[in-house]
Amino acid sequence: MNKTIDLSDIDPNAKGSEKTIENRIRNWARINSPWAIHYNSGSCNGCDIELLTLITPRYDVERFGVKLQGSPRHADILIVTGSVTLQSKDRLIRIYNQMPEPKFVLGLGSCAISGGVFQNCYSVVQGGVSNVIPVDVFVPGCPPRPEAMINGLIILLDIARGKRQKSDYSQPMIIPSPEQDSAQAADKKESEAE
Amino acid sequence: MDLGTITKIWDSILQMSAPHPLICLFFFPGGLFLILAALLYEWADRKLVARFQNRVGPRVFQPVADMLKLLVKEEVIPKSVNRSLFIVLPIISFACVMTASLYVPMFGVEAPIGLHGDLIITMYLLSVMTMCLGMAGANSMNRFAVVGATRTFTQLFAYEAPFMLALLMPAISAQSWNINVISEYASAHTWMIATIPIGFIISVIGLMGKLELAPFDAPEAESEIVSGALSEYSGRGWGLFRIAKDVELVIGISLIVTFYLGGFGNLVSFLLKSLGLLIIIALLQSSMTRLRIDQTVGFWWQAGAILSLIQLMILILVRIL
Repeated sequence: MNKTIDLSDIDPNAKGSEKTIENRIRNWARINSPWAIHYNSGSCNGCDIELLTLITPRYDVERFGVKLQGSPRHADILIVTGSVTLQSKDRLIRIYNQMPEPKFVLGLGSCAISGGVFQNCYSVVQGGVSNVIPVDVFVPGCPPRPEAMINGLIILLDIARGKRQKSDYSQPMIIPSPEQDSAQAADKKESEAE
Repeated sequence: MDLGTITKIWDSILQMSAPHPLICLFFFPGGLFLILAALLYEWADRKLVARFQNRVGPRVFQPVADMLKLLVKEEVIPKSVNRSLFIVLPIISFACVMTASLYVPMFGVEAPIGLHGDLIITMYLLSVMTMCLGMAGANSMNRFAVVGATRTFTQLFAYEAPFMLALLMPAISAQSWNINVISEYASAHTWMIATIPIGFIISVIGLMGKLELAPFDAPEAESEIVSGALSEYSGRGWGLFRIAKDVELVIGISLIVTFYLGGFGNLVSFLLKSLGLLIIIALLQSSMTRLRIDQTVGFWWQAGAILSLIQLMILILVRIL
């Protein structure tokens, strides 16, 4: 009896799992050019300042191919700092949805993990970033050291390489945001009026 | 093996057989070779900027990895855009710069196609690339992209006239609109950087404006307008625009080397001259901060245009007298 399971039978999107030359080149390119976008979801700016040390001469991460991009459409990694405030929750979801596949999320700092000192605050999502969008890697610290951030990035690239597991790695994942639904409803109304 | 022997071998390879036009188009000097050279130039530029900032900088294969990643990434097409235009614009801009490369002598090789007036064609094809950039931004229906597109067009009107005049000055001295003829004239006479110094400076700075490099990167200012005109582009379209810009860098540098630094010469001298130009460009990039869009326009029309007109007057007077 053949025990090997072809992943493509179960999930048509899981193309990256086959070891063809095409997929190897694809994976090599993805691992070697992880571009990042940084989103501050209500952090105290400590993590953000520490994050910026990554692109300064001492810790220069451009040698690994990491570049900070301005637009979510250009980025592969979403770096989220801060406990998500209710104000920025919708924006965070929207930015996550705007990023093209494959995308990864790096949660930076204690606040991103659990809410940190803002835990149980009236205006903050309880339980950190992972209650809003799926996070691949968390980097603890308040703020984390730049070395820890680089380590987190490398673990993230290991996930991309397939050395570590992430369940829904190759599937596009759209999280419905309340704002989007209301916008669609407004669009429908307009088209009906026309 | 010293540089002289390498040059001789290179020349003998070139003279062995006249290549088939299709080989010219797809492999050398156009097509595949040009794309690889463009990626190498991008790496050199980024590495030099990084070294000037005391950083380590990217690895050699970095632009190749970036490009492959962008080509295999998902391409998001927004709902409200004109779909066909959104897909076609990057292809047109890429095609334009690749076509422009056929008229320009590069890497010690004469241009495969030499027409009467190909200088004008090249400059217009390069402008079409910038126009595509602006139209892509205006088509994106994103407020940041629209602001970026406006700035792209504004900047186009600022640098285009002085840059064109700066490239026309060598044509006036050589009495020809043909790039090959101008390059022959340039290699036979004194380097035009000595005879037309203002033209050289304006063409180098104009090239930086055309490529939206550091002091003139208001159209894609990350800290204000996300990513400018190309904010909505992802994956393949953004990758094609990036390659197009890299190829434009190679073409611009080749034009300046050919016109102002003594003809296209041979491979080694071409590489050395273009490296020198890249060092100047990277130094300017890393030593200056971003200009506001009104400062850019003011700079080009107050200083650039007037200086190039003065240089043009001197040139014409010298020819007449």
